Amino acid sequence: MRHLALLVLISTSVWAAEPAKEKPVINPAPSAQDWANLAKLPDWSGVWNPKITDQDMQAKTNMPPWNEKAAALVRYQLAEEKAGRPPPLFVNCLPEAMPAWMLVTHNAMEILFTPGRVTLLGESDGNRLRRIYTDGRPHPDDPDPTFHGHSIGHWEGDTLVVDTIGVVPQAYIAISEAAGVPNNGDMRITERIHLASKDILHVDLEITAPQVLTKPWKTTRIYFRQRARKFDIVEGVCLEGYFGPGTDKDGNAIFVPVQHDVGGNRVPPK
Amino acid sequence: MKRRLGFLALFGLAVAYPVAAHHSTTMFDHAKVISIAGTVKEVHWTNPHVAIFVYGSLAAGGEPAMWLMEMTSPGNLVRAGGWTRSVVKPGDKVTVDFAPLRDGKKGGALKKITLVESGKFYTADIRAQERANLEEEAPAKPAAK
Repeated sequence: MRHLALLVLISTSVWAAEPAKEKPVINPAPSAQDWANLAKLPDWSGVWNPKITDQDMQAKTNMPPWNEKAAALVRYQLAEEKAGRPPPLFVNCLPEAMPAWMLVTHNAMEILFTPGRVTLLGESDGNRLRRIYTDGRPHPDDPDPTFHGHSIGHWEGDTLVVDTIGVVPQAYIAISEAAGVPNNGDMRITERIHLASKDILHVDLEITAPQVLTKPWKTTRIYFRQRARKFDIVEGVCLEGYFGPGTDKDGNAIFVPVQHDVGGNRVPPK
Repeated sequence: MKRRLGFLALFGLAVAYPVAAHHSTTMFDHAKVISIAGTVKEVHWTNPHVAIFVYGSLAAGGEPAMWLMEMTSPGNLVRAGGWTRSVVKPGDKVTVDFAPLRDGKKGGALKKITLVESGKFYTADIRAQERANLEEEAPAKPAAK
């Protein structure tokens, strides 16, 4: 009996010593009003194509304030590109990631509004996407690094203001498909996304990357809207090019890995 | 499949498959445009870049050979050049204008491909889609001669 009492005492104290369980954060179901409120947002429907000629131009006229080491790398990359040996920054089919998606993509994207969230869907890298939370949540204290980072946004009038942290340090701050420097960590990206006119979308970026930039870098990237159905976003699986169609011993259709060179380029016949 | 295997067997390791993610195109000499006339052997309508193999001879002369023509993605070709996956098919007689590889290998960035029989042509300039509402304002005329 004494033993039993002791056991009860011990179990009770163990129970009492357990920390209070953290209350889980529940994402509430959207209300009818939440859905109705989406109609008050600006119309960003359609397919948005990047203005690549402006990307080309800014690679010459709006150089990021690189630190010495980064500047030397970019000088080398630009010289190599000019010589016809473009450095293969994005040939491994990993996502171009943030901020390179917004800076140098050549592919279309679309933008979806749902209660508490804005979603950007791109056409390459296996149909890349960005989730921007607009439900008022903060960033996690220590987000897992990801290719597109953790993004929270809020509306200032018709402008979506987005703050992004938690991007993998390997993600390039790229000025072209052949020149750019890994952010090397601690990067923060703020974006102000807004219509500049009826069918022109501007993304005003400010990139802070203390490991490679001497001060924050500002740039605006431009997108054109298409509404014709033939321009709808299609599947864009980057790794598709690493496989060819084949057949297994049972006659099933399969993907067969194919050879490629280290630069990721096609090798023409000799 | 048989056709493709045969193709690979024929050219063996000399032909690497089309592979390339997002890369700069300065390995092509965009200051030059040269032409070949020949027959389409393979069309690879795949992401991230479409490729067409053409067996033919340079307009400048020389022995016929297999040439690899590279382009942008299927989505971009549809938007910029009015392509579909079947507008150019194996067996089609074509002429191709392209910016050649700087290293002298038999490859290039396709600028324009013309079907000899119909005269229809298709271009591959992604910068040609830099205007809003392309279709509404100016219907695409990819097949116009």
